[in-house]
Amino acid sequence: MAVLSLSRTLRSLALSRPVLLPYQTAVRSQVLSLRTCSGLWGSCLEQWRGFLTTASLEQNRTAWKNREKYTIRPIGMKKTGGRDHTGKIRTHGIGGGHKQRYRWIDFQRLRYQPGNEEKAFEEKVVEVRYDPCRSADIALVAGGNRKRWIIATENMQVGDLIKTSGTIGRMAVAANEGDSFPLGALPVGTLINNLELYPGKGATYIRAAGTSGVLLRKVNGTAIVQLPSKLQVQVMETCMVTVGRVSNVDHNKRIIGKAGRNRWLGIRPSSGLWQRKGGWAGQNHPARTGPRGHSHSAV
Amino acid sequence: MFKETAKRFKATAPLLLQSALFRQARISTIRVGNSVHGHRYFNVSCILNAKVLPRKKPRVKVDIPGLERITYADRMHFVPGLAKPFFPVWERDWNDPSHFYSSKLEEMPLHKEKQCFIFSQSTNPLEGVRQALWLTKSNLTKGLPDQVLSLVNNKANQMENLDDRVQNAIRHACLWDTTEEEPSREKYCGTLVRNLLHLCGSLQATHPGLGRRIFAEKYSLAATWSRGDELFQVRGKNGLLLNSMDPLPVVAGKEEIQNTADHILETFYPISPTIDLQRVHVYKELSHTEIETHQTRQHSSSLQLSNFGFKDDYPYPHAHTLFILRAGDTLVNLPPEQLRAKMIMFAFGNALTRAQTLHGTKAGVLEEPIVVQSVATDGQMFQFVVFQLNTTDLQPDEGVKNMVWIDEDQLLYDSAIVCPVLKRKVVHIPAGLSGYKSETFQKLMALYLHGAV
Repeated sequence: MAVLSLSRTLRSLALSRPVLLPYQTAVRSQVLSLRTCSGLWGSCLEQWRGFLTTASLEQNRTAWKNREKYTIRPIGMKKTGGRDHTGKIRTHGIGGGHKQRYRWIDFQRLRYQPGNEEKAFEEKVVEVRYDPCRSADIALVAGGNRKRWIIATENMQVGDLIKTSGTIGRMAVAANEGDSFPLGALPVGTLINNLELYPGKGATYIRAAGTSGVLLRKVNGTAIVQLPSKLQVQVMETCMVTVGRVSNVDHNKRIIGKAGRNRWLGIRPSSGLWQRKGGWAGQNHPARTGPRGHSHSAV
Repeated sequence: MFKETAKRFKATAPLLLQSALFRQARISTIRVGNSVHGHRYFNVSCILNAKVLPRKKPRVKVDIPGLERITYADRMHFVPGLAKPFFPVWERDWNDPSHFYSSKLEEMPLHKEKQCFIFSQSTNPLEGVRQALWLTKSNLTKGLPDQVLSLVNNKANQMENLDDRVQNAIRHACLWDTTEEEPSREKYCGTLVRNLLHLCGSLQATHPGLGRRIFAEKYSLAATWSRGDELFQVRGKNGLLLNSMDPLPVVAGKEEIQNTADHILETFYPISPTIDLQRVHVYKELSHTEIETHQTRQHSSSLQLSNFGFKDDYPYPHAHTLFILRAGDTLVNLPPEQLRAKMIMFAFGNALTRAQTLHGTKAGVLEEPIVVQSVATDGQMFQFVVFQLNTTDLQPDEGVKNMVWIDEDQLLYDSAIVCPVLKRKVVHIPAGLSGYKSETFQKLMALYLHGAV
């Protein structure tokens, strides 16, 4: 007991007692004298709040994400509240909201079925529906022996046939909306979405609702695409894209209506922190012009 | 974390004596009051504010042949610089069923190179009836066959007060047979079918042929066939099977059977007919119908089931009608279209096992086609299917085809509820049974009487 109380006293002396200004010491000594009257345990009240004696356990385990086999079934998701695996806030302004389930989107459109490699294939749209995890709508397509979710394009409807081909011919193809081709096979000026940065990696750009890019030109084995932000990227011409514009065009016209609806979506109030002001605030910033060497450009 | 704090504590220990120095060693900003929040104690808590490093990937273990690792196995505790010892996985010498690990699929004795597509009771085929027609190589006709419909209109098959008795049977199932406010669908669906079958069975006085039948619950089916290049199976426990001593009479004549050769099967490009069927590599090529009894469960390995078809000494070898309930108590609730596909597949499976019992696995056009019927209900809506197996030569798309008659979405009654539905003080749906349709029951009775008249 004596050792314990001594160690507690030492700890409060050594670590926790903040440096006090002269006018505070008077008040503090009075408080301390009151506490010491109640015995040695009085020092226990003076705990070090930031002193943790255990390591934080593994937070936000992502077991639900780690699947090997593709499934079209909705997967139950765990909310992170913007925290990372150590439990610290990584992204502010996230938390709460309606429970959501994740539908595994196959972003690699040119995924051949076993036994049918290097052949163009067609798929049929079975269902077009809302997806809670993204702004665009998603479509369930079936072809051959499998079904998969993809991002729906603007006019995609149930029963449509969509084509996917990986060959770049001598002539540019006449593509319908929803079809998927390498950039090299498409005519210049086509509206595209679901852009791959590296061939075979899967679409990473132009996936949000209502967005589309433009194929500007093709230069010896590469293609230059204008992104929705008007930035231009230069990628290999074997990168797959989908023709057309992403669905849910009126996404930017929806009316949130009240603060609570944002909370339903899992968005917390913004903090009021000072932000860097851009051109809209009357400050001069030189405009970006011309094609920029994108950090990902695979030339 | 704790270790690091201890280190820091040791480092500051000499300073403890000199409190002035100790106070200089810290940087602190004090708020007004006694609060310790918001202080920045760099000597202790920097780890709490440090940037979180990304998760480390586990280090790759490199095995160099000829070199032996020096581990701390004999020391029995961690020693820096020595490798972590690796011990072989312990295996128990005895059989413990509660710690059973199955062997890999590839090492199982039933593993085969060729894949098999299995249609089970919970299969939800995307294309529904069209897919079932392709799998069974069948020709579809809407409505029940004339031979069955003629039984409906025959006065000899009517009984007294039929409509009243049927309505009472429905009321019993949907309104009365419960201690709660309303029986659940799971309950009234089964009760309704049993009540109606009991009514049908009361015709035995005038039709003694009805006595030569028996119901089999919890029977399981296995039928194997080849279609195109692929191998298919229908498997699993499904519904209530009415067996009979006599086979059902053939519905379509020889001319009609020959005419089916001109029919072209519908395909549904780009979707493959095998979509949504379970693909397995470990399977038995069985073909039989088995009724689960206590005996079969105990001696399933020793029991001598005939390899194809029913057991040889079973006195009711002919499948007559298969009753499938969609009561909402199973994991998969099939939509009506998929339910009809399931009815076709299981009626076909029953017919195929019978054909393979009679004629062996040799494929060809049957001289005596086999007819199996199927009825499905969700307690209100009825689906009727009559299946005639003309050929077991299912591999090519050409040639004689099998035949299917479907009468779909037949309502037995509009509503049967305890409390009326009111909207603005106007009764929209009255309490009790309303909108009873006698034709639906007549069709059910015709299917039941088929073969006994």
